[in-house]
Amino acid sequence: MKDEFINKKVEGAMESLDGIQGANPRPFLFTRLEARMQNDRNFWSKLSSFVARPIIAFACVCFVLIINVMVIFLSKHSGSLTAQQGSEIAAVDEYSQVSQVSYNLYDLENNKP
Amino acid sequence: MIETELIELLKQKDRAAFKNVVDTWQGMVYNTAIGILQNAEDAEDVTQETFIQVFESVSSFKGESKFSTWVYRITVSKAMDHIRKKKRKKRFAFIQSLYGKNDKPLIDPPDFFHPGVSMENKENAAVLFKAMEQLSPNQKTAFVLNKVEGLSYIEIGEVMKISDSAVDALLHRAKANLKKILKEYYAALNKN
Repeated sequence: MKDEFINKKVEGAMESLDGIQGANPRPFLFTRLEARMQNDRNFWSKLSSFVARPIIAFACVCFVLIINVMVIFLSKHSGSLTAQQGSEIAAVDEYSQVSQVSYNLYDLENNKP
Repeated sequence: MIETELIELLKQKDRAAFKNVVDTWQGMVYNTAIGILQNAEDAEDVTQETFIQVFESVSSFKGESKFSTWVYRITVSKAMDHIRKKKRKKRFAFIQSLYGKNDKPLIDPPDFFHPGVSMENKENAAVLFKAMEQLSPNQKTAFVLNKVEGLSYIEIGEVMKISDSAVDALLHRAKANLKKILKEYYAALNKN
């Protein structure tokens, strides 16, 4: 009895779409469509919809990460170069001072009568 | 105006031709979209998106299938995209609600009443539409195209790019699943 009732209800639901009529959109669809297309042609809405695409957003995140990694790598590399260059410059300065001093002494010695 | 002429004019971005296309196929597109999405606003949105896509990519239409089949394909794909977007938004809203950023409660939409269903079948059809939400996307599409749009197996096969026997199998599984879901629903209802 119970099963019979359930089966009847199921059959009723399954057959409920028999003879269904087509649904239609609200009137003036074309006018609304044209307005939307005009709006979509706007530069900012085009740009925002382009940026909002998952692939573009993902590519932007990847790009920012790559830039960050590059900056970190380059700053480390250039930091070690600067230290090396600094020591070289210091050595050159020291040598130039020494050579300057020795030159002066030599000049002084030579200038003595 | 014959279809080929209309398509040629549409390829030249002729406004009158586009209006003609919209007027001719709007019912078909909207009815398919409302069958899949079960929401009038979403169906209108998808209908507009479909026609924009038709207008923008008509140059890629080679005439290998009927124009209506091509429009059906765009409609189904847009409707499926819409469902995916909605699910994504729902998940995001749920995450936001966990962090207390979104105080709006997540309410399931009320029962859907298709405007083309007769008065005496309205309640039964609402239950059937609710059950259809649990079908896989392919089963749901085939069922809507067959039951709501009244397409033949051959036409459904052309839209979904599958064979007639695959459509037959898909519809058989869809009906079996629906019967199972409805049986469980009515059994639970009978218990209460």
